[in-house]
Amino acid sequence: MKHTTHTASAKFLFLLILQALLLGGCAAHSPAVHKPVASTAQEETIAPQEAISPEEDEGVFDLEDEFEAADVEPPVDPLSGYNRVMTQVNDKLYFWLLKPVSQGYSFVVPEGGRLAVGRFFNNLLMPVRFVNNLLQLKLKRAGTELARFGINTTVGVLGFGDPAAKSFDLQAYPEDFGQTLGHYGVGGGFHIVLPLLGPSNLRDTLGLIPDYYLDPVSYINDSKTELAVRAYRQVNHTSLHIGEYESLKKDAIDLYTFLRDGYEQRRIKQIEE
Amino acid sequence: MRNIFFTVLCVLLFAASVQADEADEVQVMLKGKIDAVMVLLQDKAVDKSRRNEQITAILMPLFDYHAMSRLSLGKKHWPTLSQEKQEEFSDLFIKRLQKSYLDKLDIFTDEKILYEEPVIAGKKIHVPTILVSKGSRIEMLYKFYRSRKGWKIYDVEIGGVSVIQTYRSQFDGVLSEGSIDDLLEKLKTDGVFVIPAPEVAEARSGTD
Repeated sequence: MKHTTHTASAKFLFLLILQALLLGGCAAHSPAVHKPVASTAQEETIAPQEAISPEEDEGVFDLEDEFEAADVEPPVDPLSGYNRVMTQVNDKLYFWLLKPVSQGYSFVVPEGGRLAVGRFFNNLLMPVRFVNNLLQLKLKRAGTELARFGINTTVGVLGFGDPAAKSFDLQAYPEDFGQTLGHYGVGGGFHIVLPLLGPSNLRDTLGLIPDYYLDPVSYINDSKTELAVRAYRQVNHTSLHIGEYESLKKDAIDLYTFLRDGYEQRRIKQIEE
Repeated sequence: MRNIFFTVLCVLLFAASVQADEADEVQVMLKGKIDAVMVLLQDKAVDKSRRNEQITAILMPLFDYHAMSRLSLGKKHWPTLSQEKQEEFSDLFIKRLQKSYLDKLDIFTDEKILYEEPVIAGKKIHVPTILVSKGSRIEMLYKFYRSRKGWKIYDVEIGGVSVIQTYRSQFDGVLSEGSIDDLLEKLKTDGVFVIPAPEVAEARSGTD
């Protein structure tokens, strides 16, 4: 009897140690016990090609693996000529048109009002989030979207308030059809900079079509009114985010590739979630 | 014999919990620093350049700027530079990073910062935070690694976009077409970007 418990615990320990080795996790904290693990996993990652580095460089190139894995070949970018031009057009549109209009608007309407309007439009976009969560079988999130819509439309007075988040801690789960496609393994395809809308790719551009039909604003009968509502929604949104694009732009060495890579990285993360 | 097993077991379990504790400690440290910065940021009366100096002084010890400089150029380019060029690059890059980070904090934190559970990612610790600003939530992830001088930040992800990764591909782009001097020149012209494309006829599209 004693023997069996012994082997059982030995087996268990073996697994545990194996796990520790594989994860390389707790290595550094107990050097007395498994020194060999510590030396391979944690400390002393020597970058042999380096002579310049002072003592703090330990393991810096070890970190590099993380970035190397994400370094991709320069993406196939057949539209780069057009994309660069459109990036510049959008840049000008922002600084010459959208920004001044939004600033004027924010001068007239106080921030609280603009936030409420933003919430109202956001509430209206529930079908986009709901359907795309559903298509990705994220049922709980889809349910949350429905609950948010119910609460915010009633208690939140047509969505101008967001009691769902404030009182019930129900956060929105933004999803769009591009993400749904990505969820099922559809790659982004080549990068496209859309007029007014900015960076996108083939997949996400196609994804705009179903999302268009899920957006209640698309069902406004009069096309002029529809356009006006869309423009207003954009101006209201921009008025709350003035300064962000400007700040982002300062990080760019080359604006187009910066926005392109940032967009693609962000989309990959969003699809993973 | 059994005793040894138990000792090993205990040590292993202890080690695991120590690591979890460490992740919490890192988070608390980060939170302390950021809270101090928030106080300064919200005080709009203070002179901005002096305020920024104070903020930088608080944050300085958190970041491993040296590692960040190296990672942004990568194994591919960093070792090919002379020591002078490495230093010059680091100086310019660090200034830019600090400025950009301050800018982001300034813009995105008019309300509050939420802290999520820290995550142990292999040998690294990730501390996710959420900046709540004007009705939107921006995720900001601080990535720590164990340096000789303790846990230091080597990268920050904003909304899923890694700052180092972004600079990395941009620097690689510049260096694959030009020299390090070209890159240094670009880093000096702060906030000015170049779109090497033919000038477009004025954007005279209609209103929308």
